[in-house]
Amino acid sequence: MAEGAIIVEKLGIRFKRNRSARRNFKDLFAGRERRRRPAEFWPLRDVSFTVTPGEAIGVVGRNGQGKSTLLKLVAQVMLPDEGRVIVDGGVAPLIEITGGFVNDLSVRDNVTLTAGLHGMTSKEIAERFDEIIAFAELEDFVDTPYKHLSSGMKVRLAFSVISRLEEPIILVDEVLAVGDAAFKAKCYQRIEELLAGGRTLFFVSHSEKDLLRFCTRGLYLDKGRLVLDAPIREVVDRYRADYGVGGA
Amino acid sequence: MTLAADSALPRARRRWSPLTRYRRSLWLLTTRDLKVRYSTSALGYLWSILDPLVMSAIYWFVFTLVFDRPVGEKPYIVFLLAGLLPWMWFTGAVSDSTRAFTKEAKLIRSTTIPRTIWVARLVLSKGIEFVASIPVLLVFVVFAGATLHLEAAWWVLAIVLQAALTLGIGLLVAPLVVFFRDLERAVKLVLRFLFYASPIIYGLGDLPEWARFWGMFNPLAGIFSLYRSAFFPGQLDWLAVGISAAMSLVLLAVGFLVYRASIRRVLKEI
Repeated sequence: MAEGAIIVEKLGIRFKRNRSARRNFKDLFAGRERRRRPAEFWPLRDVSFTVTPGEAIGVVGRNGQGKSTLLKLVAQVMLPDEGRVIVDGGVAPLIEITGGFVNDLSVRDNVTLTAGLHGMTSKEIAERFDEIIAFAELEDFVDTPYKHLSSGMKVRLAFSVISRLEEPIILVDEVLAVGDAAFKAKCYQRIEELLAGGRTLFFVSHSEKDLLRFCTRGLYLDKGRLVLDAPIREVVDRYRADYGVGGA
Repeated sequence: MTLAADSALPRARRRWSPLTRYRRSLWLLTTRDLKVRYSTSALGYLWSILDPLVMSAIYWFVFTLVFDRPVGEKPYIVFLLAGLLPWMWFTGAVSDSTRAFTKEAKLIRSTTIPRTIWVARLVLSKGIEFVASIPVLLVFVVFAGATLHLEAAWWVLAIVLQAALTLGIGLLVAPLVVFFRDLERAVKLVLRFLFYASPIIYGLGDLPEWARFWGMFNPLAGIFSLYRSAFFPGQLDWLAVGISAAMSLVLLAVGFLVYRASIRRVLKEI
């Protein structure tokens, strides 16, 4: 298996429809069959596909059809109940990107921490530190506590760190909806650079324009199933035909 | 901006061995915890030792000046601190582990580091604070005139056992709190009970005959007897240590099993 490849086999994940469903200790030790309750549903089930390195894949579907769940499963921050995900190489997840930052620490400490947790060595962090700060346009705020940054600055910093991870796979989950137009353009340019560099991209968006711009192949998810796996143009057209909506 | 070809190309990845990755991530998060604690208050270190010191002062006052009932050994303040400081480690790590997943939910949802780290880092950072508090104990040893015996070497065993025990309980508690929210309160209550049920303000030998045997089944009893043997060799009770060691290992195994069985659901719930 080549670096950057992803294999998804008969993937399924189960959630409780009613989060406040009463739970008792007995459930934990009961067998799989007894644990299955009527109030459960499968946001994703029986999804299989293979991604070759360097492909750019757009995930299309209405809200709540399992797009973000699929990304989390590929990022392996959620574990499937059925089937499996095999990912060769590391993943740079642009999902909940500001999550890992600590309010009380400075920008500098936060960069070191987040990059380190994603697997960068101290040497690599030191080498790229200036580049990360410059991209985020935070040169004057290196020693400012993270909590004093504006929400736009936070997203800029997070995008800057994660997009410098040098991982062969990038996952983008509508994070770019935030931030001003100028920064958004910069992010898009960065994604294009990464694509040109041979990265594998997984892109979730409701924007037809963005999907067509970055992606070559589309996955259309509906009611937890993979309905269509085809070139992006075809997938977008089918989605529009099904729901009568265009892109932004 | 021009296309920065060299930075955009995925270079040959170094692959961390799983152990290196575990160690590195654990260390990053532990130092982060300590850094946050000490950067937000100027008196960081002082705060972490002030709590056991104030408590020691209270118990010392009550048991040596108010009541004339002999418990423990003299100097009582050293006897007390030798139990109280490790207790602070245990109680701090266990009560923090009730929030191990909920407090860091966002970070857990965005990184793939081995997930036992979320509990292990609490045991480690509280353990480091414990080790950092040892000099305070030594100051009291000098001024209260206690003698340091060769049994001090057992501290290494005590620290290893206590780390295993605390990690086991943490791994058990952390995922269960995600499903049963009221467990957080239950744990606090149990910890308060356990403070008096453990040989901290007294020694195992101060218990009445019938309670002594059952008291050994508190895994902290044997561990605290190891710590105390450094100053009071008579406190060392190998039967209690054996029971502690066995229980610590069993709890560690149970903790791992419960953790492994529930992590999938934890990731969905947080």
